[in-house]
Amino acid sequence: MVWDMPGAKPSGRPRQLTIVLAQWCPHCVPLSVRYGGRLAKRLGVRLRILDIDRRAQEKLADRLVRDYGDASPDYLIPQVFLEWSDGRVQPLLTGFSEQVRRTEQAWRDLLSSEWLLSVRETL
Amino acid sequence: MTARRGGSLPPTLEAALETTGAKCYRHCDKPLRIRRLRSRLPGFWSVRACPSGVVSVTDYVEWTRRDPTVGVGIQLRRWTFPSTLVRSRDLRLATRHGPELGRAAERLLASARPARGVRVVYWRVYPFRAKNGTERRLFVCFRRTHPSPVFFASAPSAASWGCPVCARRRTAAAKRNS
Repeated sequence: MVWDMPGAKPSGRPRQLTIVLAQWCPHCVPLSVRYGGRLAKRLGVRLRILDIDRRAQEKLADRLVRDYGDASPDYLIPQVFLEWSDGRVQPLLTGFSEQVRRTEQAWRDLLSSEWLLSVRETL
Repeated sequence: MTARRGGSLPPTLEAALETTGAKCYRHCDKPLRIRRLRSRLPGFWSVRACPSGVVSVTDYVEWTRRDPTVGVGIQLRRWTFPSTLVRSRDLRLATRHGPELGRAAERLLASARPARGVRVVYWRVYPFRAKNGTERRLFVCFRRTHPSPVFFASAPSAASWGCPVCARRRTAAAKRNS
């Protein structure tokens, strides 16, 4: 499995932010859609939502999770990925299995992370 | 920073992963207690359960590049009666990379060589119904009559404590005394 640490700086530019989610999941909607929108805006990329309950999107989501994310038979959601112009995919965040506010804390930390600052400096 | 032996976590990472304030969901709404466990695996375990023993979630944390799910399943099956309660689909993996864990943890993980994330395997058993239609929940028993935790399924309204290991010992003791 390609395992790309967010700490590493891929070459190229951020191209797309993808969130794998389900509408019924409180860690996903509205929380991760809201924070994902903020992150996409700061990175200057479009936000793509892949809903695991929609057949066509589910296949893409499963492939993304299997190849780059945290794969399990019944995998955790949300899972957030940043795709780069050079084709690399970085897993950024996987939802916590605890309370929703723990996942929210993770989003806040991601938005104020040194990694995000360093990526924005290169844009 | 060099890799720590055995996948154990430095205090900075442990603190970044800590969660408090959760309550027992759809059972008693009382605060969950967190019990730390050790096993032969190099990481550490946390069992979140209410005062009645109803388990919300059990997780295993290890600082490693490998996926520890298989070993976690084997260990849980040793602790669970019957072991078939541990199903692969209830074990879910998460990797914590650093930027989502706060600045201190982010710096620590960024400086670690070789680069690796913190891997967490969650075991969550949702309430289910037995063949007779009664609701069952996952419980844990930490009584000192057995050296390891015992996970078992029981009805939340059951009058007696359903730990199968404690019950076996009680029965054996009663036979000896009769």
